[in-house]
Amino acid sequence: MSVRIHIPPTLREWAGNADKEVIVQPGSVQDALIQLADRHPAAYRGVCDETGAVRRHVNLFVNDSLVRTPADFERTLSPGDELFIMPAVSGG
Amino acid sequence: MSERVLICIGTKKGLFIAESSKKRRRFSLRGPFGPGIDVYSAMIDTRGTPKIFASSCHPFFGMKIFRSTDLGNSFKETKSAPAFPEGDGRAVANIWSLEPGKGKRELWCGVEPAALFRSTDNGNSWEMIPGISKHEHCEHWQPGNGGLCMHTILRDGDHIHLGISTGGHYLSEDGGETFSAANTGVGAGFSPDPFPEFGQCVHKIASHPDAPGRLYMQNHGGWGDWDGPGGRRPDIGVLRSDDHGHTWRSIAKGLPSDFGFPICIHPDNPDVVYVVPLEASTRTCPGGRPSVWRSENGGDSWNRLSSGFPKKESFFTVLRDSMQFDHLKSPALYFGTTTGNLWIGRNGGEDWDCLFESLPPIHCVKVAVV
Repeated sequence: MSVRIHIPPTLREWAGNADKEVIVQPGSVQDALIQLADRHPAAYRGVCDETGAVRRHVNLFVNDSLVRTPADFERTLSPGDELFIMPAVSGG
Repeated sequence: MSERVLICIGTKKGLFIAESSKKRRRFSLRGPFGPGIDVYSAMIDTRGTPKIFASSCHPFFGMKIFRSTDLGNSFKETKSAPAFPEGDGRAVANIWSLEPGKGKRELWCGVEPAALFRSTDNGNSWEMIPGISKHEHCEHWQPGNGGLCMHTILRDGDHIHLGISTGGHYLSEDGGETFSAANTGVGAGFSPDPFPEFGQCVHKIASHPDAPGRLYMQNHGGWGDWDGPGGRRPDIGVLRSDDHGHTWRSIAKGLPSDFGFPICIHPDNPDVVYVVPLEASTRTCPGGRPSVWRSENGGDSWNRLSSGFPKKESFFTVLRDSMQFDHLKSPALYFGTTTGNLWIGRNGGEDWDCLFESLPPIHCVKVAVV
């Protein structure tokens, strides 16, 4: 089994109509982002800036757990896990 | 096709294009392009076939540059936007200025955090210009209220002037290879030293092709009543240089406030200068009565222009890139407000009309006759 990355509608539109879901091989969260960069560079650029940091108003979740600390990014994703890319709550 | 006036209006919610015949009686509006996303900078490139460039700064997902080759009827994303090179450690947070470069396909771009980029292929690829972007001062620059932005890029042969808030005025005399802080006479109200070498909160700089070496600056004024450390710093807000920006002197005497953001020069006369004074504490029209102030003698004296503006209860702000002239016979001056009004000042700013009164907050206004 593999890991499914869910790309939100606003990012899909911003990234030239990227796929709704991207299937990647199991590994760490960081590995999943590298695979995203290879296959959908525009979507990856919407998630991470040029330093590799996740953008300030973007949150990542593994299943229902927020990815925040460096250790979270090293967390091993198991087959069947889902990585959700979510715009953070903000408005105005 | 006959010539028409195009206005690019960059707003908090996308880019709008207003268009009129040369008579400027009625303007049509189209957009928003890049809907919902901040557009802080735009450029109408009249070199050869006209093109429009605009930044689109997504607060969540990053930066893009849009380009139109059909006078703003449609836009496409360029192949890339400015980005810091790998290992630099900085990330582009906003795009503040777009200006034509030396060659026909060359563009210059100022970003936040303050750095300068150049494209030689109409915005498809970008390289960082290290002479300013890796300047020894850059780690000492501080963000102003709008961020640490490079908002002004002026080219005069091998002289290149940059305005950074808060970094000050930087000058290159070798076409952009090297830059030096050039702020003698430019004050700062927020540092113990009233006249530091660099770090001033420059708001906008303007130049005119008929007066090489002369520059006008709207600096962050409003420190006339300051009684904190270092004492009062009156009249540091509106300045003039006659030596390519090496030294500056105040021309603020006669204005109701030396605080403001934009500064413009009449296209037919480098002695005719315009500012929009604001109350420093609120950044709004003094007394709720909007006015543009004009000097016809290079800043020696100023006159209030207010015909057509509300007489009271008007408290908008005009941001640094939101005022520009067209270049028709009897040029008109345009400005946009944070309350979403777009104004036209016909006859060189003598007579004002509101062209659009309910746009999103306006970040920038660029005008060309094409």
